[in-house]
Amino acid sequence: MSELNGETGGIDRVDCAQLADMAAELALGVLTGRERAAALAHLDGCPACSEYVRELTVTGEELLGLLPPHEPPAGFESRVLERLGLPVPGGDPQGREAEAKTGGARVLRLRRGGTQPASGRRQGRRLASARTLAAAAIVGAVLAGGLGGWGLHAATSPQPASQYAGAMLRTATLLTAGHAAAGEIFLHDATPRWMYADVDLDNAKTTTVLCQLETSDGKVTTVGSFRVTDGYGSWGGPWTSSAKVTGARLVTPGGTVLASATF
Amino acid sequence: MTTQVPDESLLAGLGAGDADLAAAFVRRFQGLVFGVALTVLGDTGAAEDIAQLAFERAWRYAPAFDPRRGSVRGWLTTITHNLAVDAIRASKSSLMEPADLTEVLVEISDTPEAQAIAGDRASSLRRALRRLPPEQARAVAMAGIYGMTAREIAVAEEIPLGTAKTRIRYGMHKLRVALVPDDVGDE
Repeated sequence: MSELNGETGGIDRVDCAQLADMAAELALGVLTGRERAAALAHLDGCPACSEYVRELTVTGEELLGLLPPHEPPAGFESRVLERLGLPVPGGDPQGREAEAKTGGARVLRLRRGGTQPASGRRQGRRLASARTLAAAAIVGAVLAGGLGGWGLHAATSPQPASQYAGAMLRTATLLTAGHAAAGEIFLHDATPRWMYADVDLDNAKTTTVLCQLETSDGKVTTVGSFRVTDGYGSWGGPWTSSAKVTGARLVTPGGTVLASATF
Repeated sequence: MTTQVPDESLLAGLGAGDADLAAAFVRRFQGLVFGVALTVLGDTGAAEDIAQLAFERAWRYAPAFDPRRGSVRGWLTTITHNLAVDAIRASKSSLMEPADLTEVLVEISDTPEAQAIAGDRASSLRRALRRLPPEQARAVAMAGIYGMTAREIAVAEEIPLGTAKTRIRYGMHKLRVALVPDDVGDE
């Protein structure tokens, strides 16, 4: 079998026998890098291997189906419905009691494919126009310096915002679980693909946060991490995805979602 | 009766914002979703976060669900699993505790009498799991449930990378054959 080393080799072509070697890992979603790219390229033109991978994928899904069910904590149902902005039919006394105890801290109202409720927003401590300018400056830094992770303060290119405005630059407001505005996300959806997060959290904590993108295939991908100091922070970097980006979120290293945005 | 409404109808109701059907959908699948998240994450709070997010994804993408490509249960399970694995990777936590793996393997390969229905695919899969060499079953569970790459499995098991890949491959192949009996396989 040809070498498919992600560190030293290129994306080789693979034949059916080689695909069979990596099919299980591909089906389980644990094949990475160039091996994955080579496997997917092969599947594009090989119905037989595609069917084999499909069967293995089904096997993997049925394996997950063997996991024992486990009832969630009391009030879960009503918290989910609240999160979706739906009423709780007939009430859920147990759930409401649980929510009262937690203050509904885990609940975040969302609107599919739209903007967040205006009533839940608060004014950021910085102007949106300034953010747009900063984002444009980031574009200049990317174009001039290549695609690597970067911090706001490293970006000094004076590219005008208007040069990059338009359909390719998507923006969304970051909202906390309590519906408070927590910054903005800028997503450049053309080559070079980049994103920029400007964070303004009220909790004034100093911590590291991970920036993740949600895509239409249901996946969440971590694209970078950065430091938030006293509630403030910003970061930009490249992103890649074959699927449409539908949202972004900031999470702590412990996995807690600090804020999310829907594009 | 709500319990007789097909899964696809409940999902359509969820997507349409019907409160009654959405509640029924959550009620029907919350044990499944939370169970998958809890198995992968091993933490109740984190599992609830992921379970909530999984239902949000189901609501968001309900209009795109295609029943010809699989069941609602499988679709929702995959969404939850992907979210849970992504979350644990993002947290840079350990992907798996050895004791948890042992327990999970017992749970997924055990066949209670009530579930031992002849011809049932889940029972066939459980039997096939029991027949796997332990090292292959572990590799399959580490990759398929905990989302570990072959390299991560090699490190965890202290084996060469090629051995880890082979264990995943052979194990999955045998499980697939158990579900597709006409395929005699080549291993």
